[in-house]
Amino acid sequence: MAEPLLETADLTRRFGALAAVDGISLRVERFGVHAVIGPNGAGKSTLLGLLAGELRASSGRIVFRGTEVTRSPPEAISQMGMGRSYQTANVFPTLSCAECVWLAAQSRARTSMVFLRSADRDPEIAARAAQALAECGLSDRRLVLAGQLSYGDQRLLEIAMVLATAPELLLLDEPLAGLGHDEGHRILALLREIARDRTLVLVEHDMDAVFSIATTVTVMVNGRLLETGAAQAIRGSARVREAYLGEEEA
Amino acid sequence: MTLSLFALQILNGVESGLLLFLVASGLTLIFGVLGVLNFAHGAFYMLGAYVAYWISERTGSFLAAVLIGLPVMVGLGWLIEKLAISRLYARDHLAQVLLTYGLVLVLNDLSRALFGSEVHGVATPAALSGTVALGEAQTWPVYRAFTSLACLGVAVAIRQVLLHTRFGMRVRAGAVNGEMVEALGIDVRRLLSILFAAGAGLAALAGMLAAPLTTVYPGIGDGVLIVSFVVVVIGGIGSVKGAFLGAMLVGLADTFGKVLLPGLSGAIVYAVMAAVLLFRPRGLFGEPAEAR
Amino acid sequence: MRLPRRVAFALLAFAAALLLLPLGGDRFWIQFAGKAMISCIFAVSLDLLVGYGGMVSLAHAAFFGLAGYLLAGLSNGLGISSFVLTLPLCLLGATAAALAIGWLSLRTSGAYFVMVTLAFTEMLFHVFNEAPGLGGSDGVFVSARPFAGRTAPYYAIWIALVAVFVLLQRAVQAPFGRVLVGIRLNEPRMRSLGYATRRYKLLAFVLGGAIAGLSGYLDAALYGFVNPAQLGWRQSGLVLVTVLLGGKGTLYGPMLGALLLAVLGQFAERITEYWSALIGSVAIAAVLFVPAGLAGLLRGSRG
Repeated sequence: MAEPLLETADLTRRFGALAAVDGISLRVERFGVHAVIGPNGAGKSTLLGLLAGELRASSGRIVFRGTEVTRSPPEAISQMGMGRSYQTANVFPTLSCAECVWLAAQSRARTSMVFLRSADRDPEIAARAAQALAECGLSDRRLVLAGQLSYGDQRLLEIAMVLATAPELLLLDEPLAGLGHDEGHRILALLREIARDRTLVLVEHDMDAVFSIATTVTVMVNGRLLETGAAQAIRGSARVREAYLGEEEA
Repeated sequence: MTLSLFALQILNGVESGLLLFLVASGLTLIFGVLGVLNFAHGAFYMLGAYVAYWISERTGSFLAAVLIGLPVMVGLGWLIEKLAISRLYARDHLAQVLLTYGLVLVLNDLSRALFGSEVHGVATPAALSGTVALGEAQTWPVYRAFTSLACLGVAVAIRQVLLHTRFGMRVRAGAVNGEMVEALGIDVRRLLSILFAAGAGLAALAGMLAAPLTTVYPGIGDGVLIVSFVVVVIGGIGSVKGAFLGAMLVGLADTFGKVLLPGLSGAIVYAVMAAVLLFRPRGLFGEPAEAR
Repeated sequence: MRLPRRVAFALLAFAAALLLLPLGGDRFWIQFAGKAMISCIFAVSLDLLVGYGGMVSLAHAAFFGLAGYLLAGLSNGLGISSFVLTLPLCLLGATAAALAIGWLSLRTSGAYFVMVTLAFTEMLFHVFNEAPGLGGSDGVFVSARPFAGRTAPYYAIWIALVAVFVLLQRAVQAPFGRVLVGIRLNEPRMRSLGYATRRYKLLAFVLGGAIAGLSGYLDAALYGFVNPAQLGWRQSGLVLVTVLLGGKGTLYGPMLGALLLAVLGQFAERITEYWSALIGSVAIAAVLFVPAGLAGLLRGSRG
């Protein structure tokens, strides 16, 4: 079997006596959409925070692209090719869309400790930023301040920012949260497009969306891994339904 | 160093640490719960000392000075919170620093206008002016013993309030998560006013108690303030336990530093702070930073 | 972030006026202008930290005073006073101090950072106030100054101010400046975007500290006198007031603030002996009523 893109071994994070993430071992293969689902409080967001380097693991290991990153800071993990979006849109409200994606794209420049040349002069960075905006359909709003966008557009902008960092793996925390039906569809279509040549790890509550896009699904309950496998298998699993899907009215 | 000299330094260090704790505990809670960087805290110390001087000068009684002066200072703290500090809760650090810095300048000049810029002395109350023998060669002033015991008593009282009263519980909760306290529907405004006033009172009390030991002049608050900040950094913002340990550490380091390294004594305290920061950037008992 | 045209024009006119002042101006005004320009350099360097980097540093006066003391030390102790030698050495000293203090201070953030920078500046104050041989609270005279006469120091200051402003103006429009602003707006987000944010903050801190050192050097060169009060937290607080008053994050705003305070300082002594209370009131008023500073007011009136 090919080496997985991302792998965790017995990953645990405790807050006091509570183990929010408890001994999670999972493999994320290259390409495809890997969804993480589970009831509220299952530890899904904590897991993403651990993977992105924002939270320190209490024990266990995280290996990304064959390198151990358990103790790595968020900036190092990002530079290795992992991008991250948040549960609530985390853009820079006082900057324009163009400036937001520029900041994201600039992070891939050799160095930003450049003092004398104006920021607009680097064509490569500008091109990458423009492309990310275009991929998300925001080109016409490039000069609008991020804080003035509709919430749906802010989510799009956030994805554009992540794309501008040219990630191999995207961690997406509830990308559809707070969105209406149409906006949700737009994001979903965008994600399908993005997933064509990248790997996605997706935390989501919307089951229809999850099963319309995911190739593999991991189910978490109370910080532990209940089951993981191909999307269809999970969908059909009685255990999972009992633990989670059964609580939801279809 | 002889044993009794050593004991003397320990006692002095503990005493200055205890006084420092009074100031720092208020500062760390005001910071932890109100989220306000309060540069004016030292001014309360100074005003406390001035009030002690002024009242004891007129009544001949140090006790009267404390009994009258303390409520006055608490009231002043309450007033300042209502008029100025409350406007800082939503503001950033720059605004907080500059407004409280401005307050210090105004209050310093105010006391200069009211009391003049001469250095004043406050007489040690007669009942407490003896000395206690430490071994054969050293003695320790009774007043210092009294001050230490008084501060210790206040420290115990603070602990009782924080651990065993509803008010204390809310304060502790607020120190950890201010928004949560508000969400619980507790009247946060009143809590904050009381807390600030109490903090001001503690600082003023320290100033009053210290007045007979040091002279009283317009700038005495500044030095205390900065050292208090060091204590808060060492102990961790919002932690009274940390403030206590930090104050003891600083008090002892400063006292021993003056004796062992006279030329550099002023800098010792900061060296201690730097050392703590190297290993614990959030202080001994501060919340651990999440990101690496 | 690009300089508004009217502002650029006003700055140019101002620079030209200052350039011509020594040719016909009164000695008093030349001295005053020199002092004001030094304050401008000092304030602008702090704006980089505060307005762009979001770092409220109370250590800034430490670098100002340190460079001045270094000049005194070089001149009095080693007999070195040519500006070719003293300027780089003093700048180097200030930079080294900024690196050390910055590295330690930036291990903390938020309020801890403010308090730690305060503590370090006080530490330096104590050293220069109490250590034997450094002049104590009276300060030290600089025996031989790097610039002879009256106009040479003035033009040195003028050149420094123009150079610093142009350099910083470019820096904030360059990637460095914009990344710094991003860090100020949302540091965790910048880290998750891949930026080693602490390095940028440290670089800004050191750059600002070095320029503060430059202003302190020029001050010592102009007046020929250094004293510990220049290193203290009051001085740091004062320059912070100028930044807020003028309008942080604009570069030209703090220069306005510095100018205003210089004017106030010059004439306040005649109005009242409670000069501190006046400054304090100005600070309080600025925080409560003019949070965007004078630059903000000007922008508002234009729109």
